[in-house]
Amino acid sequence: MTTSTPPPGGDATLPTPTPAPVGDATPPTPTPPPVGDATPRVHDDLLTSILKGAVDQDYEVASQSRRGGGRAGGTLTFLVVVAAFGILLGVSALETERAEPVQAAERAELVDQIHARQDRLEGLHATLTSLQDEVTERQATLAGLLTDDDQLGDQLRTLAMVAAATESTGPGVTITVDDAPDAGRVTSGRVRDHDLQLLVNGLWQAGAEGIAINGHRLTSLTSIRFAGNAITVAYRSLTPPYVVEAIGDPDTLPARYLETQAGKVWQSLQANFGVQFDMRPRDEVTLPAAANQDLRYARQRAPR
Amino acid sequence: MIAVLGLLIGILAGLFLEPTVPEALQPYLPIAVVAALDAVFGGLRAHLDGIFDDKVFVVSFVSNVLIAAVIVYLGDQLGVGGQLSTGVIVVLGIRIFSNVAAIRRHVFHA
Repeated sequence: MTTSTPPPGGDATLPTPTPAPVGDATPPTPTPPPVGDATPRVHDDLLTSILKGAVDQDYEVASQSRRGGGRAGGTLTFLVVVAAFGILLGVSALETERAEPVQAAERAELVDQIHARQDRLEGLHATLTSLQDEVTERQATLAGLLTDDDQLGDQLRTLAMVAAATESTGPGVTITVDDAPDAGRVTSGRVRDHDLQLLVNGLWQAGAEGIAINGHRLTSLTSIRFAGNAITVAYRSLTPPYVVEAIGDPDTLPARYLETQAGKVWQSLQANFGVQFDMRPRDEVTLPAAANQDLRYARQRAPR
Repeated sequence: MIAVLGLLIGILAGLFLEPTVPEALQPYLPIAVVAALDAVFGGLRAHLDGIFDDKVFVVSFVSNVLIAAVIVYLGDQLGVGGQLSTGVIVVLGIRIFSNVAAIRRHVFHA
């Protein structure tokens, strides 16, 4: 390290191929360019050639071709060029000055935007935290309601069952309905959507608390329709026999059902068209929860 | 003398006439100024060396400004405008420093 390379600043240690140049102080560079040397050496490295090739070389050449020293500046062209330089300086200073307020304004605006977004983010974080707290709280409340045997819990369970929101179990009846045995191609002996609608409405009227047809739980919005030749419940096709399960008092439900209009219509259906109808009381009926449970009218509370 | 006069005229003209630089040329203005500065310091050094020449100064000024601007323009078109203008500024800066060093030596004999 100390012996291999010469110190970078030492002019004297560097060998110069030409003897001392004509009375001009050479710059203190590693390879001082001899001023009198007008022929450039091609093997110089880039930095050296940049250092050597300062403008003076051109002036050297010019003055050598026209001996007798250089002319002092005095022509009109010279004046114009110097003036152009002045204009350049002035204009760029002006441009910089002009651009400054614009840039400052842009920067200020960006800073404002950043602050605004940060505030918004903090607000959202706060909302998130409070919402999470609320969710936790509500879940705890819900769990408390569901486990406690108090009045609210009962109400919640009742409402959930009526709304078909949960699987429900209780005593009830099972009604099996089927087409007339000789229905075949004749359409008169077949159970139609209207018949099932009537039957279900009759059951509601008779005090049923939950109804399912072939395992499809009915809500207040479930449709029973004909599509093609099949009855659909909640847009799912059913095949006969149709098993209607209802939760209700097994002792009173069948009797009350028979007193409704539906019961009478179905009695006449049985008598006139041979449609099969079989109602049996059951100790325990299990109804699944309804499939689609969209909130239709409830809206999310506006975030505070 | 005439140089100082021209410089003053130019600066005053630039400041008070407020010529608007076209938007497309604005990025090249600083580079042009640096290139012009290089030519001016080269001329000053030549003047102190006693070898100043009008024609060389004019040609070197114009060509310096034009070449610097063209190089940066080319770089912008190639997508390396930033790097090329850095290179131009480094080269011109080295030249300016070496010229100013020579001028300093002339003026202060040090």
